[in-house]
Amino acid sequence: MIKTVDLHKKFGHLHVLKGINLEVNKGEVMVIIGPSGSGKSTLLRCINLLEDATSGRIYLEDQEITSPGINKNKVRQRIGMVFQGFNLFPHMTALGNVTIALIKVLKMRKEQAKHIGVKLLTKVGLKDKIDSYPSQLSGGQKQRVAIARALAMNPDAMLFDEVTSALDPELVKEVLDVMKDLARSGMTMLVVTHEMGFAKEVASHVIFMDEGLIVEEGLASEIFEHPKHPRTKTFLDAVLY
Amino acid sequence: MQGIEDLLQKYFSIKVIIEVLPFLLKGALLTIIFSASSEFFGIIIGLVASVIRVSKTKVISWFIIAYVDIFRGTPLLMQIIFTYYALPYVGINLPAPLAGIVALSLNSGAYVSEIFRAGIESIEKGQLEAARSLGMSYIQTMRYVIIPQTIRRVLPPLTNELVALIKDSSLLSVIAIAELLRTSKEMMTWKLNPSSLTAAAIIYLIITLPLTRLVGYLEKKLKKGES
Repeated sequence: MIKTVDLHKKFGHLHVLKGINLEVNKGEVMVIIGPSGSGKSTLLRCINLLEDATSGRIYLEDQEITSPGINKNKVRQRIGMVFQGFNLFPHMTALGNVTIALIKVLKMRKEQAKHIGVKLLTKVGLKDKIDSYPSQLSGGQKQRVAIARALAMNPDAMLFDEVTSALDPELVKEVLDVMKDLARSGMTMLVVTHEMGFAKEVASHVIFMDEGLIVEEGLASEIFEHPKHPRTKTFLDAVLY
Repeated sequence: MQGIEDLLQKYFSIKVIIEVLPFLLKGALLTIIFSASSEFFGIIIGLVASVIRVSKTKVISWFIIAYVDIFRGTPLLMQIIFTYYALPYVGINLPAPLAGIVALSLNSGAYVSEIFRAGIESIEKGQLEAARSLGMSYIQTMRYVIIPQTIRRVLPPLTNELVALIKDSSLLSVIAIAELLRTSKEMMTWKLNPSSLTAAAIIYLIITLPLTRLVGYLEKKLKKGES
């Protein structure tokens, strides 16, 4: 579904991604862990074309999305992304946030978009908040609206960039529950997170990244219980205890 | 006490003010028409200019930067004179009212574009990214996500700009447009008494004060909405 080949990203002299090769198959949930500054977020942003890769290739299905003539807007419609800072549009209601791209990008009729929007907001447990503005919602509710907004475009895959990191601890679960449901429904997901419990429960694969490289890759149980690489070990020790 | 009586008689003669008031109100109407229409066109020019500027499209951006620099860096009086007296030599013959609106709009547009640019740049980068990640084009992102949020934030500085424009429109008197200041000067010569200037000043205040109060109100409301 998503494949990167020798992906590099430089910001000036800063070499953030130093040759990333990964492959996520349809329906898989890949969890990316690693210390801050290891390039996890940059990797997701490259896949969603929010950043241009310096070199290397990215494939979505069999299409190379890093080729020069590609329509980036079309690609982004097929890959949903959820951000750490929610980034809800503050001047629109929850329903407005979820339906705006349907109406303006897909040119869908308003009633049809509303139908989809209400369905998705119900799915994330916010049926009674469809007319609320972001400022009236808690962090967990905002993030669930953001997930519904990304799902509205009916994407082939979803990218989650530390989506629970900005939440108060008691609000983390409601967001993770939505993500777990999504994973079980067969959505292809790439998840950057520090939630090890979530990773253990739903991850098909776990990747440990450090300094712009994939250091270790494997099943969640392998990585968490028997990390092979010393750097993975050090990181897990620091995070888990 | 002779001094105070002279002052009252010269600058605050009720009799003179009542006589010139109908003429002044006509002038005031022109002032309002000229500043409102220039603000309107200024906002359109400024909005387009600022969106091009922040898009970082190189060559056109340079044109925008040059435009803003020239119109903010030279006296408005000079711009009005050039538009009316110099443009005919290159075949552009504008009647005085049109030349006035063109000059005022271009001048206002330069300031407004900077107001909008600052406003757009004050919107969190995540808004742009979230919109783009949904597949919206740059133009769609601007139109539906960034600009609506920007307008709320720039309403106070835009209103300030309108106040400045109302006062600046008095410079149109140099190309014989009978706006408020010019009318009051003519009345002064006619009546040999400068009370008409006082009356004009009060009319300017009556027009601008509600606007400056509105700015304060908007700023307060905005602060509340964002917390």
